[in-house]
Amino acid sequence: MTKKTAFWIFLLGTLSSAVLFLAATWDTHRQVATLSNVDKLSEQVVAGKRAFEKYNCNDCHTILGFGGYYAPDLTKVVQRIGADGIRYRVKSPELAFANSWRKMPNLNVSDAEIEDLVAFFTWVGEINNNDWPPQDSKKRLSRGEQAMVATVGVSPGAAVFQTKGCMNCHALGGTGGTFGPALDTIGRELSATQIRTYVRDPKSVDPKAMMPAQTGLSDRELEEVAKFLSNLK
Amino acid sequence: MEYRSQKIAYWYFVAALPLFVLQVLLGLYLGSSYAFTIPQEIVDVFSFATARAMHTNLLVLWMLLGFMGGAYYIVPEETQSEIYSPVLAYFQLVALLVTGVVALIGFFFGWTQGRPLLEIPRPLDLVVVVGALIFLFNIGMTMLKANRWTVIQGTLLGGLVFLALLYLFGIPFYKNEVIDWYYWWWVIHLWVEGAWELVTGAILAFILMKLTGVDRQVVEKWLYVEIGLFMFTGIAGTGHHYYWIGAPRYWLWIGGIFSALEPLPILLMVIDTMMHVKERKTQIGNPLVWTYAIGCAVFHMIGAGVWGFAHTLPQINYYTHGSQVTVSHGHLAFFGAYALLNLTTFYFAMPKIKGIEVFDDRRGTYGFWTMNVAMMIMGLTFGVAGVLQAYIERVLGMGYMTAQSYMRLWMLVTIIAGVFFLIGLLTTVTDLLTLRPAKQEA
Repeated sequence: MTKKTAFWIFLLGTLSSAVLFLAATWDTHRQVATLSNVDKLSEQVVAGKRAFEKYNCNDCHTILGFGGYYAPDLTKVVQRIGADGIRYRVKSPELAFANSWRKMPNLNVSDAEIEDLVAFFTWVGEINNNDWPPQDSKKRLSRGEQAMVATVGVSPGAAVFQTKGCMNCHALGGTGGTFGPALDTIGRELSATQIRTYVRDPKSVDPKAMMPAQTGLSDRELEEVAKFLSNLK
Repeated sequence: MEYRSQKIAYWYFVAALPLFVLQVLLGLYLGSSYAFTIPQEIVDVFSFATARAMHTNLLVLWMLLGFMGGAYYIVPEETQSEIYSPVLAYFQLVALLVTGVVALIGFFFGWTQGRPLLEIPRPLDLVVVVGALIFLFNIGMTMLKANRWTVIQGTLLGGLVFLALLYLFGIPFYKNEVIDWYYWWWVIHLWVEGAWELVTGAILAFILMKLTGVDRQVVEKWLYVEIGLFMFTGIAGTGHHYYWIGAPRYWLWIGGIFSALEPLPILLMVIDTMMHVKERKTQIGNPLVWTYAIGCAVFHMIGAGVWGFAHTLPQINYYTHGSQVTVSHGHLAFFGAYALLNLTTFYFAMPKIKGIEVFDDRRGTYGFWTMNVAMMIMGLTFGVAGVLQAYIERVLGMGYMTAQSYMRLWMLVTIIAGVFFLIGLLTTVTDLLTLRPAKQEA
């Protein structure tokens, strides 16, 4: 190989890759409007993005998987903890994370900014991004559920509990979140029917409940998890 | 040192080293935040986010200073002329340092653009751009006036111009989060897997040529092939960041295929480094410089090549994206490819600037091995934490904090390795700042 051949390898390699990349960039711009629901990208969503940047949220949390890995991903945060969950955590993190071994700073975010943030996260949560992240994906987790029932031999209800994000807030046997109460003996207090009603819509039982309504669970999943929890005594 | 203006490089290196130390100190705080409970009162004042902004921006700042110093050292020898304006070069160093310090203090008080790695506020971005323009003007004028073009010069200048241009894409405010990340990667990915690789290729080729005495025609021929492959795989390889951001599905294919090829140019770099070393026409004067050059090529391959490949395919990346696996890759790749390259440059150039032909490299050797072993361990412990996270949080869906509690132990081990890394780094920095001639053996 001569130096001249080597030069042509360089030139063609660079140009071919650049042309492909720029063409795909042009096409991406064309498609992003649909994929990200630009019609719903309101002024309030943009204001929320500005607040998100103003408080440097992104250096602890990831969004669309990018940023700091110190705190949960925020892509589907509305689906996971609900708008009220976001409001409470941003407004009073010292209370929300009082029992957690990892803290969130209180950045004195104003009420208006919190509403903007909620609008921003709601919009981000609806971006069509190939069903990421897996932990918030309805499709993937049912697969994880099946795997657990098949391989670990846990009951279907326990599998639902572990894979539907309940443990983001609740703990069993010391493992899980500290945001909601531990559920080790919940069966002493509530029956399966009561659990079912509560999980489906907590506010219908207790208007002050912080827990978001679990609308993502199928009837079968709800029944199994209620049966599982009511047996914990 | 053959040209007086090469001395400029020395001050760039001296400025870069303490920033590297500061970066590692902040890294230890970040690690502690994972392993221990930092009380609410401290978190409210000095959050993880602030420390992370400092940690990453210090990395960029010291490495860019290293590259610029490297350019100021190499360009006189390549063009066989003095730097166009040493005054501008010193002015630009001071301007960049002041900007950096103001930015760091600003982060502490919440003055930030709020986008990871690009936290420097927009007004300061303008100062950075002016600094970059002065730098490119100075280097460009030196080359133009001398008019003795070489491939190494061209690659270096091309890489630096590309680097500066890409920075511009990080400055605007994008309303759409998807578009925001799309162009964020034009800065971050096309820097580290594009422009920085060009600069690295040029610097490493220069040092190898000087060290081994291998013919320029041979070195430059391989340099062309290397940077050709870097550009071919790296540019379209940006697609591996577009899998989950709301970009069209074909990015899974473009990103997957091109980034799977990304280890190739690095492998070629390792092979031709080894080849040049084998076919050397000179004596090994300073073994440590050779160790660094080879270490850089090999660690570049491990950190960027192997670790990058490990989670670049969409099927795997679906579970590892945005987890500690990324952190593991980030640390190994940045250290292997760019920290070691800069240190290679420092060890090559600083003795020469000081007029020391053969330096005492005992401390430096301890420093090299301590840092390399410690960083490799950190890469592995971050990696174990990352796999735990991917499995517990993403596959089993057991929740973020559940996964974190299982990862805690591994983050603690990482801190211990980090302390060793700091010891190795302090040894290295001390050694570089107080280089002395080796004692003549009787």
